[in-house]
Amino acid sequence: MGCPCELLCETDDAVLAERLAAFAHDEAQRIDQKFSRYRTDSVVHTIHSSHGAPVRVDSETQRLIDYGVSLWKISEGRFDLTSGVLRYAWNFDEGPLAAHPERIPELLQRIGWQRVGWEPPVLRLPDGMEIDFGGIGKEYAVDLVVDYVATQTDCPVLVNFGGDLRCAGKPPRSGAWHVGIESIAQAGAAAKLVELKSGALATSGDTRRCIEIDGKLYSHIFDARNGWPAPDAPRSITVAAATCSQAGSYSTLAMLQGAGAEAFLEAEGVQYWSLRSEGGD
Amino acid sequence: MQLKRMAIGATLANATCGLLGALPAAPVAAQEVSDWEIDTSLLYYAEDNDRVRDASLMTSARRVFDEDRFFDLSLTVDSLTGATPSGAVPSSQAQTFTSPSGKDSYVIEPGATPLDGSFLDTRIALSGNWNQSLGDSMRWSAGLSASHEYDYLHIGVNGRIERDFNKRNTTVYLGAAYGQDDISPVGGTPIGLAPMLEVDNQSSKLRDDSKSVVDLLVGATQVLTRRSVIEVAYSYGLSDGYLNDPYKFLSVVDRGTGLPVAGPVGSGLNLYLYESRPDSRTKQSLFAEWRYALDRDSLALNYRIMNDDWDVTSQTIDARYHWNFTPNSYLEPHIRYYTQSAADFYRTVLFDDEALPAFASADYRLADLDAYTAGLKYGRRTAHGEFSVRLEYYHQAGDPSPDASVGDLANHDLLPPMSAVIAQFGYKFRF
Repeated sequence: MGCPCELLCETDDAVLAERLAAFAHDEAQRIDQKFSRYRTDSVVHTIHSSHGAPVRVDSETQRLIDYGVSLWKISEGRFDLTSGVLRYAWNFDEGPLAAHPERIPELLQRIGWQRVGWEPPVLRLPDGMEIDFGGIGKEYAVDLVVDYVATQTDCPVLVNFGGDLRCAGKPPRSGAWHVGIESIAQAGAAAKLVELKSGALATSGDTRRCIEIDGKLYSHIFDARNGWPAPDAPRSITVAAATCSQAGSYSTLAMLQGAGAEAFLEAEGVQYWSLRSEGGD
Repeated sequence: MQLKRMAIGATLANATCGLLGALPAAPVAAQEVSDWEIDTSLLYYAEDNDRVRDASLMTSARRVFDEDRFFDLSLTVDSLTGATPSGAVPSSQAQTFTSPSGKDSYVIEPGATPLDGSFLDTRIALSGNWNQSLGDSMRWSAGLSASHEYDYLHIGVNGRIERDFNKRNTTVYLGAAYGQDDISPVGGTPIGLAPMLEVDNQSSKLRDDSKSVVDLLVGATQVLTRRSVIEVAYSYGLSDGYLNDPYKFLSVVDRGTGLPVAGPVGSGLNLYLYESRPDSRTKQSLFAEWRYALDRDSLALNYRIMNDDWDVTSQTIDARYHWNFTPNSYLEPHIRYYTQSAADFYRTVLFDDEALPAFASADYRLADLDAYTAGLKYGRRTAHGEFSVRLEYYHQAGDPSPDASVGDLANHDLLPPMSAVIAQFGYKFRF
């Protein structure tokens, strides 16, 4: 998953704890491998290798694609499963000089769900386009693990994959899980503390993964319609929802609203915590 | 904002249902931890036989800035009424005393324990402490405190630093505090072992005085097992300056009859000498506490031994059991036993045929005494906060020393036992 994954469990039953941890570990690895862009045995690789030919996908992939399509419709094209190629213009791992906005017009020709043939379970992805489950896979994995945990125990459990998390079972003995929302000023420090008794929290916007061009900070969540991050988005948005998938989608869609992120979440009536550069951390 | 046209909640829920097969029955329950934690309590303390009564209102507030920084502020207002033993022994004769102000006198009936009835005070205490992390494994705090009574002003500073070791299984802390107290008793500070004089004669008294107190603390907590923690602390305290209780004195009695002897000529009083304590006191104490978490409940046992250079050695054993009988309510039985040996200059009375000692006090708090406390606390957490009710019973009994059961004194209880009840109502909330 490219992030620390943890499962916290309040129990005396070591066998149970190990079984849950093993499941979480295996499931994280399975989803990571299945939807990896880099592995040759992944579904994504199979789709990319089809060069435009129809590919019949398995039911789990079908459900993830359907979910991604729903987000594409809801966001009116801002979110798009095919926007992953924008990483060729925006490389966050190599520092500010690695941004190549001039490549965006060319890359936009390779983005857009309207170009994709999707007649479940058959997918026809035009040659040169890519599909990327990175925006939804991690939250989906958390939800899968929580669903499994619920069949095993009602002990307090928290499944946390890189800050996207959901709890299962009873609240812990202390009454609630205490989740820190990372400060944008100081990595590893909590700017706010949230008590979670049930449901999920997911955060979009990464304090470390942002890029500065001409003195302006850009997040790593791109609007698929123009290839740029929405202007004036918060540095980080955390949303609470019943499932991690919903929380993650709300936070991503909010980031894509840029300056209107908070107004969007207000109108949706969901609980959120946003951090912006001005006005402290 | 195009997306504002229609809420997406239902569409997203549908999509999620398609992805996961079903949605959870329980809705999300999350809330931001509030910045302010307020703890208030009203305490009532009453000793039997119309002795001291204290109504105390305590409020403390914690402002959390982030996980690494918080500020504690506390305010206590006490209202004390009633009477406290003056140190003089009962007698079969009526006894007349001059009140501390020197402006009037009062009479204690034959056989009654002499109490100073002018005990009436309001105390206000304020303290503030800043707490902050210093990197991942260290924390420090620094604070100021002040309290004021009509005859007393205390100003103090304190600091503490602690550090975790051994994957946070061990914490070592160091603390220090300094206090400066100004004492301005009603009527002045009596000269040690000077006699009580008649109304309007204050020649046994001087003006205000002061003392300073330094306390040093070093301690450690250690996680022993998954369920148990032990804490051990050593403290050293040095008080310097005026350490007498200006309202306490001793009776001088006749070795044969056990009756008070006559005081200074013209005073019309018996002979009562104001107490005199050394002007420094060095205390050392060792404290150990063991806390154990059961599945649902918890237990804390602690022991303290204190020794000072006045020859007082005290020991305290304290036990609490926290019984969570429902997820939201608990009962906490508490017992405490305390025992101390007398200060080397403690004297229930002075005899008229002995040389005047350098130091003497008949303050029962310096006598050989035992005390126990037994109580029960009930607490309940609600959506808005947590309230608690505590009821405790306190009993103490001391031994006179040296043996003073001569003549008339044998007819009286020189150090009568004392009982007190404590009732406290507390309410804790956040906003």
